[in-house]
Amino acid sequence: MRKHNQELEIDEDIELERKNWAVERVAWVFMAIVVLAALLGFTGNGGLKGINLLTAGSQADGVEVEYERYLRRKAPSELKVTLYPTATSPERELQFSKDFYDKVQVEQVVPEPSEVYTHEQGITYTFSGAGSTSPIIFYLKPKHMGSLEVSLKTGEKSLAISQFVYP
Amino acid sequence: METVIRGLVLYLFLMILFRISGKRTLSETTVFDFVLLLIVAETAEQALLSDDHSMTNSLILIVTLIITDISLSLVKQRFKQFGKVVDGVPIILLDDGKLLHDRLQRVRVDENDILESAREMQGLQRLDQIKYAILEKDGRITIIPRKEE
Repeated sequence: MRKHNQELEIDEDIELERKNWAVERVAWVFMAIVVLAALLGFTGNGGLKGINLLTAGSQADGVEVEYERYLRRKAPSELKVTLYPTATSPERELQFSKDFYDKVQVEQVVPEPSEVYTHEQGITYTFSGAGSTSPIIFYLKPKHMGSLEVSLKTGEKSLAISQFVYP
Repeated sequence: METVIRGLVLYLFLMILFRISGKRTLSETTVFDFVLLLIVAETAEQALLSDDHSMTNSLILIVTLIITDISLSLVKQRFKQFGKVVDGVPIILLDDGKLLHDRLQRVRVDENDILESAREMQGLQRLDQIKYAILEKDGRITIIPRKEE
């Protein structure tokens, strides 16, 4: 064992400690950035419009979707779909791609769809009450982490949304 | 499988986090350090167990954490340098009666912390009664008093 001042037996390594202090300072900055990113919404669960809360489609398209860019595995999230009635399709039908029912657990749909069925391309929800433009809310829980690409289709129009699920 | 991964990830995450947050962060020197420890423990529990409250899950998790701890200590014993990096090293803060101010500032300790330890452990009253003050790996400050002449 090395001796400090010929009397104190201590395994001091000031060089290592200095490196450690430098790493500490960098890590503090990194942690501050993480908190800031979380506040802005880069880690999901709220945040700013345009970063986490996104909208796809518009009234002109006949369908508008409000969704969150960043989700968390097994954490509740919402997807709001507004269907605008068009002359060609009086029935309000909404089709999701296969990933939607493969990778996401649908907790509840408000209002209740009058009919739900699965097929090769995915899953289709039919809603009664033609002409209503109140949004349909899907309460969801993603089952797997990683990117989640979902496409929606209603009548002729289709929209693709891309989300990311944190572990 | 998931339980083991959760255990390992959290073990490593907390180890790195507390290592880089500095020795004094969780040394329970103030009430707030203690509260911080409580909150971190409570939050970590959720990440560890998720919504699976089965007996199997808890048992696997406990075994995972303990075996990780044992493995790490074996590696530390085998490779001393690795141990130093993981656990840190003791640092002299007061050398032969002289305060090393640059080090104090770096490790976020001040004179009062040293005096507190001196009172608690040695019953000393003044700074000049201390020969060495050392910040140990776990964040405690140990005191070696000056011999009475």
